[in-house]
Amino acid sequence: MKVLYSEMKELVPGLKATPKEVGEALTLTGFMMDGFTEVSYKGKKDYLLSLEIRQNRADCLSVIGLTQEVAAYYNLKLNIPTVKPISKNTKKLNVKVEATKETKRVLAIKIDNVKNIESPAWLKEYMSFYGLNSAGLLVDLSNYVMMLTGYPSHLIDFDKTEGPICWSINNSFKEITTLLGSVTKLNNNEIIIRDNNSILALAGIIGGKTDSIDIKTKSIIAEIAIYDRSIIRKNSRSLSITTEASRRLEKDLDPNGADYAMKMLVSLILKYAGGQVASSLFSYYPKKYISPKIQFDKELPSKLAGIEISPKDTLRILKGLNFQVISKNNKLTVAPPTSRMDVSLPEDLAEEVIRIYGYNHIPTNETPCLEIVKNITPKNIILSEKIRDVLTSLGFDETLSWPLTQKGINDKFNYSELKEITTQNSVNDLFPHLRQSIAAGLLNQMTEYFKKGVEYIDIFEIGNVFGENGKNYLEHESLGILSATKNNTLPQFKDKVESLLRLLGFEDVKYFESKLKPRISNPESCWDIYANNQNIGIIYKLIPSETKLNIYFAEINIEKITKMLTSIDNNPVVELTQKLISLDVNIELNEKESIFMYLAGIEKSLDKNNIWSINIADIYQIEGKKRYTLRVTYKELSDKEAKKIHLKTFGLDNV
Amino acid sequence: MTEEQVKKLLEELKSDLESAESSTATTKLWHKYFSDTGSFKLLIKKIKDLPDEEKKTTALIIQQAYKEAQELFTEKEKSIKGGEMSGNIKSQSEDINPIAPKIGHLHPISKTIREMNELFTSMGFSIMDGPEIETDEFCFQRLNVPSDHPARDMQDTIYIKEPDFLLRTQTSSIEAQVLAKYKPPFKIVCPGKSYRNESVNKSNHFVFHQYQGVVVTERANMKDLFGTFQVLFKKMYGEDVVTRYRNKYYPEVEPGVGPDMQCFNCHGKGCPLCKGVGWIEMGGAGIIHPNVMKMAGLDTKKWVGFAFGLGLDRWVMAKYKITDIRTLLGGNLGYKYYENESII
Repeated sequence: MKVLYSEMKELVPGLKATPKEVGEALTLTGFMMDGFTEVSYKGKKDYLLSLEIRQNRADCLSVIGLTQEVAAYYNLKLNIPTVKPISKNTKKLNVKVEATKETKRVLAIKIDNVKNIESPAWLKEYMSFYGLNSAGLLVDLSNYVMMLTGYPSHLIDFDKTEGPICWSINNSFKEITTLLGSVTKLNNNEIIIRDNNSILALAGIIGGKTDSIDIKTKSIIAEIAIYDRSIIRKNSRSLSITTEASRRLEKDLDPNGADYAMKMLVSLILKYAGGQVASSLFSYYPKKYISPKIQFDKELPSKLAGIEISPKDTLRILKGLNFQVISKNNKLTVAPPTSRMDVSLPEDLAEEVIRIYGYNHIPTNETPCLEIVKNITPKNIILSEKIRDVLTSLGFDETLSWPLTQKGINDKFNYSELKEITTQNSVNDLFPHLRQSIAAGLLNQMTEYFKKGVEYIDIFEIGNVFGENGKNYLEHESLGILSATKNNTLPQFKDKVESLLRLLGFEDVKYFESKLKPRISNPESCWDIYANNQNIGIIYKLIPSETKLNIYFAEINIEKITKMLTSIDNNPVVELTQKLISLDVNIELNEKESIFMYLAGIEKSLDKNNIWSINIADIYQIEGKKRYTLRVTYKELSDKEAKKIHLKTFGLDNV
Repeated sequence: MTEEQVKKLLEELKSDLESAESSTATTKLWHKYFSDTGSFKLLIKKIKDLPDEEKKTTALIIQQAYKEAQELFTEKEKSIKGGEMSGNIKSQSEDINPIAPKIGHLHPISKTIREMNELFTSMGFSIMDGPEIETDEFCFQRLNVPSDHPARDMQDTIYIKEPDFLLRTQTSSIEAQVLAKYKPPFKIVCPGKSYRNESVNKSNHFVFHQYQGVVVTERANMKDLFGTFQVLFKKMYGEDVVTRYRNKYYPEVEPGVGPDMQCFNCHGKGCPLCKGVGWIEMGGAGIIHPNVMKMAGLDTKKWVGFAFGLGLDRWVMAKYKITDIRTLLGGNLGYKYYENESII
């Protein structure tokens, strides 16, 4: 909203603050100044302040509304321009309101014998400040009243209408040609103004060409209407038409204020365009808006602000904003003016007091006095941070990617039984699905790095993955790790992944052939990762790509491992008093037998207190079989004791 | 035997020692000159055959020559052994590899979140997260966002299943979750992704990052809120940071606050970065709206709270001099080979 400094000064004669100071005061009180320009108006130097209007302050999309704020801030008197009452006429206007649910108020009046001449220079100049081209005297006056009072009005060329003018919900017109000449297709259910034959306006948004004012216009109907704000917003958005009128009417605008605006409009038309009032004032106002009466604790502003604001200041501020204050038995009852439809609670009143008192009076340099409270940080957050530390230490760079993916991507990377989740209305229709694996983003990052010639592609991402199980939308935090290299191997990559898991506290990590393999994986090199006998993720080699790199990927379900880990600290300290004893054993397994299953059996039969480590020292491939040399290292045992356990465990004691 | 012969032997030894290059060679020379069958021993043995008047003089000459020969030999042997020792060390030595090792890096968003988390945990805050697929109830209704608020328009919200399931448009939904699930008092911060139905370009993205903070105690107020913000701004932008706090509307708070930081680029004079106003908007904040507290079942006579939300992406972009928001998530983010350098 733009406002001239001279206009504010005219309405608040006692205003001494400079234009810049006024802008800064409005900024502090909720209307951020986002433009300040020196201009010339009526031949004098002036300043145009551009202000951002709070979403719930329709009253301040007007010069008078904003100036009321300035007057309250500086504790000065506001002189609202006086307007003449509308002269009486008994002739009834043929107007109907059918859209009763959507229409809060309609005021309409007929004026005959107007002359739609060229606007005076001052009015043209004024319009230019708002970026509006002069459209003839009548339209310019209508716009002028809107800027001054905040109420949009609509002028209809009476001679171009047929039959009664009616506010209704559209169910017959397929399109409208607006007064700007553009054709807009309609969706039905818009609130419109129509006559017997034509659509005259998209109500609250823009007038139609059919009834628009032109240079020959002699007889007009001026209307000001207030609607349910949601239908105006809905229509404006769905038809992609935003106007000065729709900006105001999609907010809560006080229906009571329409009277003043109509009086001003009629008096200005009669003054500048001539003519006579030719009808009685049509007024549709089925449910008069009455402002609430709020019980108010004078201490509330101080309590919320954290500083002392005296009851005297509180009363001064509320009265300065035109709030009615009744004090009885040391209790306050406050009624805001009807223009302040945003105020209904004691906290709303407290905000009024604090903002006008000035947020700048609240100190910022004091240490906040906040209570000591219990730490409720969930374990997964601590775990994710540790994962970041470990992986960066292992040389991996963190990347982040879009959780929404293109069509077909999940087909390549998914290895869960959950269904893909699709968004309904994303404007970015190339990315309609939620990712089911972190792999897609990492592979995209790898491709970008490869294209740009980045070496050492070791990357990871922590983020949510999604899926639907028929009844519920599910998501969990997931870790993806990707390595793309010319020389490295899957075992080397696996060592890094396993280092992470072991550092997180998992002692028992095993790999079994994957049950569900992503299409992107090499099916011969795709393994489910098990920790403490639970499937926690997947590790696989990707099928060769044009990059000719060896690409490996692992994904760990962070939610799952968070539940499994009782402690995130991994520090398996033991007291070592004797020399370690390492004993080897050779075992042969069929190719399809899992060494991990074998080791799981062996581990069960050994006393963990006597085991330092079990390693695979060597692997030989022999016809249809694999021979493993296992090296078991025993601790805190004598040679004899260790040998005895070793022979028994591996069934060698009878040999 | 003449003095001449002794001198000749000594010269011969000197010549041999000069050409000797290994301990094997010196060992051979030791045998040649100093063993029982060596040249000096033979000379000494011959003294007994000399006439008595020559014995004493000749013995003295040989003794001096022998002593000199031994000194020369020992010196040479030391030199050769020393050389051989240093040769061994050399053969086992390794050069320093001039190639810097690959090190890993945190994403600048994570790095910034971590810095902020460290600050807030030092102030006794917990860190929370929440679902990204949210319900209308937790994303809007419980935050006092009325049904006709612009944020609820189809154009702004990405729906999974309209009207109930959507991708959260703000991390305030975590606030609603925490208010519903935890008993106060609590102090939390919640970093996370949010989604808006916007076209992707240099300045806007449908995915962005926010940092939410919520305090619910028996006596939280705006002075505490401003103090908390000030601590954060000083930590992130230095002690000299200039801030202002102004009234701003958000449906979930009352009174509402807009924290601004004086533009670090122009120091308040106005420049393209701050759109000429000299200030940069840092987010939104305020005292939690009584409707939000009531919907969480909290007694507003007992409990009061403040909440704040900050957009992280622009903050991070300014800090790391990233000019295109798509770089943060879209694959163009690289890490220079050398640590402590800016992001490319």
